Order: sequence, then C-alpha cells, then structure tokens
Amino acid sequence: MPPPARKPFGLSWEGGIFLALLLYPLFPMFERGLFAATGRSLGEQLPLVFIFALLAYGLNVVVGYTGLLHLGIAAFFAVGAYTAGIFSTAAYAFQWPFWVVLPLGALAAAGVGLLLGAPTLRLRGDYLALVTLGFGEVTKFTLKNVVGITAGSQGLSPINPPTDHPAWSDDFRPFYYLTLGVLILAALLLRNLERSRLGRAWIALREDELAANCMGLNPAKLKLAAFALGSGLAGLAGVLYATRLTSTADPNAYDFNRSIFLVCCLIVGGLGSRLGALLGVMLLVGFDNILTPIIDGAIQQQFPDAGGKIFLTFTGWRLAVFGLALILMMRFRPEGLFPSSRVKHELHPDEAVSEPVEPITMGKTTGEVAAIDGGKA
Amino acid sequence: MTFAVEPTFWTAFLQQTIDGLAFGALIALIALGYTMVYGIVELINFAHGDVFMLGGFLALTVLVLCGLEGLGVDQNRIKLDDLGLWAKAGLIALCLLLAMPFCGAINFGIDYMVYRPLRTAPRLAPLVSAIGVSFILMNVGLFWGGAQDVNFPKLVSDDNLLPADTGLRLTAKNAMVFGVTVPLMIALTLFVRFTKLGKAMRATAQNPTAARLMGINTDAVIGITFAIGGALAGAGAVVFALDVGTISYTMGFQNGLYAFTAAVLGGIGRIPGAVLGGLIIGLVRYYGSAYVGESWTGALIFGILIVILVFRPTGLLGSPTREKV
Amino acid sequence: MPFRITVPLVFVVAFASVGVGGLFLSDGVRSKGKPDVIKIVSSLPRSGSARGQTDSIVQGIKLALHEVNHQITLTDGVTYKLEYLDLDDATAAAGNWTIEQEIANANQAKADPDVMAYIGTYNSGAAKVSMPILNKAGVLMISPANTATSLTKPGWGGRHEPQCYRPTGRINYTRVVPADDVQGAVAAQWAFELQAKQVYILDDNELYGKGIADLFHMTCEERFGIKVLGQESIDSKQQEFKPLLQKIKDLKPDMIYFGGTTQTKAGQVFKDMIAVGLRCPMMGPDGCYETAMIESAGKAAFETAPFYATFGGLPISELQTGRGPQFVKNFTDYFGKPPTEAYAAYGYECGLVALDAIRRAGRKDRDAVREAGLATRDFVGTIGTWSFDANGDTDSKTMSVNVVKDGEFKFVKKLELKK
Repeated sequence: MPPPARKPFGLSWEGGIFLALLLYPLFPMFERGLFAATGRSLGEQLPLVFIFALLAYGLNVVVGYTGLLHLGIAAFFAVGAYTAGIFSTAAYAFQWPFWVVLPLGALAAAGVGLLLGAPTLRLRGDYLALVTLGFGEVTKFTLKNVVGITAGSQGLSPINPPTDHPAWSDDFRPFYYLTLGVLILAALLLRNLERSRLGRAWIALREDELAANCMGLNPAKLKLAAFALGSGLAGLAGVLYATRLTSTADPNAYDFNRSIFLVCCLIVGGLGSRLGALLGVMLLVGFDNILTPIIDGAIQQQFPDAGGKIFLTFTGWRLAVFGLALILMMRFRPEGLFPSSRVKHELHPDEAVSEPVEPITMGKTTGEVAAIDGGKA
Repeated sequence: MTFAVEPTFWTAFLQQTIDGLAFGALIALIALGYTMVYGIVELINFAHGDVFMLGGFLALTVLVLCGLEGLGVDQNRIKLDDLGLWAKAGLIALCLLLAMPFCGAINFGIDYMVYRPLRTAPRLAPLVSAIGVSFILMNVGLFWGGAQDVNFPKLVSDDNLLPADTGLRLTAKNAMVFGVTVPLMIALTLFVRFTKLGKAMRATAQNPTAARLMGINTDAVIGITFAIGGALAGAGAVVFALDVGTISYTMGFQNGLYAFTAAVLGGIGRIPGAVLGGLIIGLVRYYGSAYVGESWTGALIFGILIVILVFRPTGLLGSPTREKV
Repeated sequence: MPFRITVPLVFVVAFASVGVGGLFLSDGVRSKGKPDVIKIVSSLPRSGSARGQTDSIVQGIKLALHEVNHQITLTDGVTYKLEYLDLDDATAAAGNWTIEQEIANANQAKADPDVMAYIGTYNSGAAKVSMPILNKAGVLMISPANTATSLTKPGWGGRHEPQCYRPTGRINYTRVVPADDVQGAVAAQWAFELQAKQVYILDDNELYGKGIADLFHMTCEERFGIKVLGQESIDSKQQEFKPLLQKIKDLKPDMIYFGGTTQTKAGQVFKDMIAVGLRCPMMGPDGCYETAMIESAGKAAFETAPFYATFGGLPISELQTGRGPQFVKNFTDYFGKPPTEAYAAYGYECGLVALDAIRRAGRKDRDAVREAGLATRDFVGTIGTWSFDANGDTDSKTMSVNVVKDGEFKFVKKLELKK
C-alpha cells in the first residue's frame, strides 16, 4: 500500500513497467528481433497478458484487499465474455458497438457478483472458497447447456473488432494499446481506491473482521462492494478477451483451472499488491503462453521424434512447475515475490526494523522512509 | 439380452437407485479422506482426489506387471478370458493390497513434507499448498498414463446376479463395489470409535493443544489420519477403475470435487456425514442423468453444494459450531 | 529520492532514443522473412489421444514435401526452399485442441510472411476460430479432416454462416474430405441397411459432433423413416455415463449413434453401453475412426457388440485408384512401414494440393497461391480425381463404413450417397 504523493511522476517500478510496455511497439527492432529468433510475435501475445492482468486486478480486490478467498473468478470473466458474445455477434439482433458492450460487460459481471455476494456474506474462509468454486462450476455447466443462448460448447463467434478498420487484424498495435490502456486505467483506479476510505476499510476487514465491525465498519456492505468491483473488473477483462479471441471460446475456457491459475498468479506475485498482480501474471502467463511454445518449438526442431513422449516436451511439465512454485512460495515467501509492504510486515514482523511500515493515514511520509522503501522493490 | 419383464417406471427407478448407491458408496470412500483430514487439521486437502488418481495408475501398473495388457504394452500378454474367477479375485486383492499402502504413504508424505511445516501459518497457506500438491500429482499422473483415457482391464463382469424375472440388474461390479466399500467404512467407524488411536484422533480433532498436553503425539496422529484417508482413496481408486473401466489423469479432479461436495453435504469433519453425503451425491448423479438430463448433472451437484453451504453450512449431520476468534 | 527518479528516467530516455531511431530505420513492425523460403505450416492436435491420427497426417505432409526434395522452382525463376512447421493446437494438459492455442497458431502463421499455406485444422471447432484470422491474412487453408458443413456451405448453419468466416469476402478455406452433409446421410443409409428401426442419438455438444449428429437425426427421419427415440448431449468431462445408457436401454434402440470423437469419450460411451447390458450396435463418425478409439474402449469390448465408423474416403487397404497405390508404396519406402491411420492419405493430399497451388501461382504471393488453390480442378489424388467447388469443398463423395474386428478397424463397404 503505497503512501500518497510519494511518487509524483508515477515512476515507481509499476510506472516504469507500464512505460516500457507503452514504448515497446515503437521499437520494431525488438519485435523483429524476437520474431527472427523465435518465430513468434510478442506483440500478438502481450494483449492476452494485459487481459489476464486486468482479471488478476479484479481478483486481487476480493482476495488481496478484502481477504476473501475466491475460487470462481472465471465465472465473472465468462459473464463479460458472453455479454460481448450476445451483444455483438451476428447471431443476435443487437450488434451493439464495442464501446457500449465494454462497460455493459463490466456492469453485468458486477451485477452477478452482487447476486453471488449477497447470500454468502456470513460465510467465511474455506466455506466461502467452496461456494465461489461451486458457483464457478455451475456457471460453466449452465453456459454449456443453455445452447439456445450461448451456443454451448461451440461458443459465440465471430466477435468483430471494435471498429471496421483493417488495422485491427493487420497489426498488433491497436489491440495492444486498447488492452494496455484499459489496464493502466484500472491500475490508476485501484491506486486511488487503495488510499481511499473504502480501500482502507477493506484492509481493516481483512486483518480482523470482528475488530473492524466494532470500529463501526459494515462488513456486509464492504464485502459486497469488493465483490462488485472485483467481478466488474473481471467482466471488463472478459469482454476484451472475447473480442481479442473473436469468440467467446467454449465454456471450458472458464472452468476451475482458469480461476485457480489466477489465484496462483496473485500468490506468486504477492497478494494485495498491484505490482505483484501485474508481475505474477506476466511471469505465469508469460511462462505458459510465450515461453513454453518457444521452447517446445525449439525442441521440436532439434529432435523431431521427441514429441511422442510427454515428459520430453516442456508443456508436459507445466503443472509440476506451477505446483512446485505454489508450495515453495507458501513455505518460504508467503507474501509473494513483489509484496505490498503491509503484507510483508505482517508475515515478517521481525524485519520491520530495517523496513518501516508506511502509515495508512493520508498524511505525508518523510522523504527518508520513502527513499528506503522506493529502493526496495 | 432379452427382458423377462417390461421395464416400468418403478423398475427403471429402482435400477438407477441401485447403480446410484454403488456410485455413491465409491464417492463416500473418497469423501471419508476429505472429512477426516478436515476434522483434524481444518484443511481442505485438494490433493486428495489426485492421490486417488495415482492409486488407479498403480493398480493398472500392477496388472501390467502381472502380464495383462495396458499402458501400451500389448505383445504376448495374458488374455483376460484365460483367467479363472479366483485368479481375477487374486489380482483384485493384490491391487487393493498394494494401492492402499501406496496411497496412504503418499498422503502421509504430503502431510509430512508440505503441510506439517505450515501448521501454524495462516489458513490460506496450507490450502494453497494443497492446490500446488494437487498440480504436481496430476503431472505425475500425466507422465504415468498420458493425456488420454486409459482402458482398465475388465476383471469383474457385468453379469446380473439377480434372477432375470425381477427386471432388475445387480451386477457383479455392483456387488464388488459394495463388497469393498461397506466393510471399509464399518472398519473405519469401529477404529475411530473403539481403538486408542481412534480416541487420540478424536481428541486431536477436538482440541490439539489440550490433546498435546494430555501426552498425545498430535503430529503422529495427524500423520496417521492422512495415511488412513489415503489408504481409503487407494481402495476407492481400485474399485472405481474396475467399475468404470477407465482411468485418466484428470479423474482425481472430477471425483475429488464430487467427494468433497459429499463431505460438505454430510457435515464436514463427520464420518457418518461423509457416507451419507456420498450416497446422496451418487443418487443425485444417477437420478439427475435419468430424469433431468445428462449434461445438467454437474450443475445439479454443485448447485446442491452452494445451497447447503449458504443455508446450512454445517451440513446435514454437523452440529453448529461456534466461530473461533 | 534522486536515485528513485533517475533510474526509471534513464531507462525511459534510453528506450525513447532507441525507439525513435528504430522508427526511422524501418518501415513498419512486420518482419520481412527470408526471400528464398516458402513455409507450409500445419496446425493439428499433436498432444493427447488424437496424436496417432495426426502423426499420420504429418507423415503424409512430410512425404509430399520429400517427393519434391523440399524445394520448388516457380515461374518467377526463383528456386525456393520449402520449410515445414508442425504446430500443435492442443496442450499436453488438455489432451485436446484449445481455442487459445489455435488462435496463437493462426496468428503465428499470419505474422510470418513466408507462410503460404496452412494445413489444418483437425477439429471443425478449431477451424471456426482460425478461419477469420487467416482469411484476413489471405493465407490458403487446406483441411485434411474438417467435416462440419457450416464452415463452407450456406444454409447449413446460422444465417450469418459461412460469410462470418470470410470477413474479406474472398474464400481462403478448402478441405479435401467430404463434409458431413454427405457423411451424416451415408451413416443413416448404413443404419437403414442394418435394418435399424429405431435409434438413439448422442453427441458431445461440439461443432463437429453435434453437427453430424443433427444431420444423422434429420436424414434418419426424413429419408429413411427410421424412428429417432431421442437425442441428448453428453458432458465430455464426465467420467462415466451409465445412468444415461441405462435410461436408453429401457427404450430398446436398435442402434446408438454417437456424434463425437475419441477425445470426447466415444470409448467410454461404448463401454458403458455394454456395462448396462445393451447389446445393439453403435456407430460413430470419422472422429472415432482411429486406433485410439479401440485402445480407449479396450479390444475385448468390441467382441460383445459391433462398433461401426464411417469415414469420408477409403481406408489405406482400399486405395486402388488415382495416386493411391503409388502413395502407399512411397510412404512405405520413406517411413519403413505402411500408414497406420487412414488420414495419412489426406495429409499427403493436403501437401500435394498446397504444392500444386504454389506451383500454379508461379510466385511467392499469398493471394496468388490462395486463388490457385481454390482453382484446383480435376486433381488426381489418392482416392481418385476430384475438384474444389465454389465453396472450397471437394466434390468427392466416396465414403466407407468400417467395423472393429480383432482389435482393428476393418473395411466393410464403400458407400455412395443415394440421391
């Protein structure tokens, strides 16, 4: 939780990453060099990373800020994607423009989030996790079975790009900037929210619900707000995802594996930390969608006969790598690789001497504290 | 096959009930592992379903080593038809005898290596680690059997044990499922209720600190609980493989979800609850397929999970507990 | 404080200067490729149980390239090196094609200017997502296995199909197998010849499986007067289907038709059919016509009840016209053993069509190759002489029906569609 006005130009590590990403398409030599080396276009892949980062932000609001373990975020992702499918494919009469569908998807997902949130307010911990898991699965089965509306396993397609301009398919840059732009806006929104009354109340709720309640906070309202915002961001990501794929994909794209994958990203990155969510997604999605195909391609070129054995492919090891990462993180660095300073302090209170925790008040921090903190990440 | 009796609504219903109960007994066996572990360390052991899955692959490997076809080895193999009833029964017993300690050991090992160091950590930590373990075990299963469905030798026939004029079928497979699961459940209940170790388990579940103060080695008790849960999953795996005839590396995930839905439904932490929950889930799966629609059964089962958790979080047999602060 | 701002600032300035320099030195982001290389890519499910089948297809493609020594001299005077890229649209964990993987493959082909032909896809659902992408890029697609009618034929799918797969209005998609309007009808005809009076239909709820099941349903009722007792979709993530087949058993069907693939649990459905004591024949489409189907259900199961699979073409043993015999001989010479799966012939056919299109185009130009590909007429292939029609479909209508016997598929009969 960064203190206010600490980094006036936004040039924290987070800002730096966003800036680098903004500048990347301006350097064709990077794109070409990578393409020549790997045969794959990074620019085509990154929008998917941004979309998942947005989804991770949404999940982070519920799991990271508010501390409610949510194992069904994919359902809200699906709501966004299917909103895009229903309101923009030729199969339906609506065919609304993308700019209307985008907020609509977010609103629809937020609404569903409230619907799920309301009855589950009194549940805690494991039980809430199970309800969200069950909800995710029920959503998946429903999407599969109401064939008349969702086209079942075939998915709704094709979803047209935001405008008719041919550049949407000729070039990677329009999508790149669209998704990155939405992601940055979401990051700015969350940055302000973290410092707001609501953001601080969420954290109080996460730390101790009973105490927060005694201090006059209304847990029910706060949880609902977290559910609505988290689901809304997930829905936004869903619309972008479906638009990017030009299809809602099939309902299996929104199953438990997707939800748990996002939880993994957050945990590896650092729960409750925006930077953590971003880097966690970059790390895991990058591993999954960018690194493994490249390595597998190289393996295939070198040893054309190796493909028959699953343990000779890199993708074959994917689950083990993720599993091991989760276990090791939990054992040795439960705060994640890029934790928010607050979580870090909670888990390693003894190190607090060298690393002062920032006060959550709105007041200005001293330059000294900020400097130490800024050099750390 | 000809029908001696025209199928009526009621014979069809009874038939689905028999098959559903058999499936439910299987789910109950897996659910017991979830519920015992939750009862004692309050952890949803996500990896339990995958321990079950590995048990299936071990059983298949045992059979292949004994000379049967499978896992891509099909040259000069024993034909199933050449095996007598006793040889088949012996092979099943061998599978059970090896799969149970194998799965028990895996589950014990997981607890020892992964969960034990996290005993005092926040509750999210073991839960996430459990998901991690589940991934690793799935990967092991993927290497073991490949991504596709693997056929499991048909050691038990589908012959009907009931006279044909009843219009009902109770197959040898059904009998085998009940024959393995019911005694195991009874044995477990007796063990937990009447042995010293069982008492220690109940004490640890109730209050670990007090149990430790009373001289109980709680770490050992927890380890044994994991081992027993794993052994039950191993038995479940053999029975499942024989009954369904197919194993795959994803079967742990699907059946694991059903099983812990069953555990929660019955009241997580309660052994009779897991059995009741398992049977109900089995019946829901079969009635759902017969009367609602095959593709809706998954939604039905998870719908029940949600409804139970929201309106009666303690499950059917659980007693309300006070929130620990 | 100074440290905190300077580091990112230096970073930014460095980036910006390189970037501006880069923009001046180049004209656009696209990579240029190699001037004397033509690439042919394939996108098939290479992980999971379809592998046996796709191995054969890939071997067929490799054979076609091997026969021309991996090079081709065009009328523009350049001798191009032919490179082949074998892409996987499945993942090891899914064991089946995934939409993201297929889109990544299509994007990769699109972004690589050397790619002139895209051989794929195996699953019709996958074609649905890569077709629009490659259509915009103008890359010729040749599918060795897609049979869903709505991909090419107007009037079979939604009213926006198939135009929605052709956003540029031009056609870039072709297939060398007959589509399901032929296969579904022929399957119904076979059910009729087996004297089935009433059938039950199951499908896997995917584009291909549901599509062919619907066509079978329609033809049974309308053309052959076979009673359809019901049609239901299964969830292919389920482990077993006993309650469903128990229910079907009480309806006493003469045959069960499963619209789906081995990867969507055809084997398990067959096994459960036997487990509940139902002994009628089961029939599946070409997606079940592979060795993996026999492995997944276990050889013993097929001795209890017959399993028929229709196939849009002829099995390897029956290839006696056109280039068929020569193909089997060359294949055996090159790989040391005859093809194991029937689709090898279609992999080979795709490779030949691609090479032929490139040759007739006469230059390394996607649009010329695409047009030449669609203009393929009177092509002498492994199952006889055929042409692409205006939709990019083959006009070949040869179908066969096969049955499992002694642990492998045996040819039963060549079927011609009766008008």
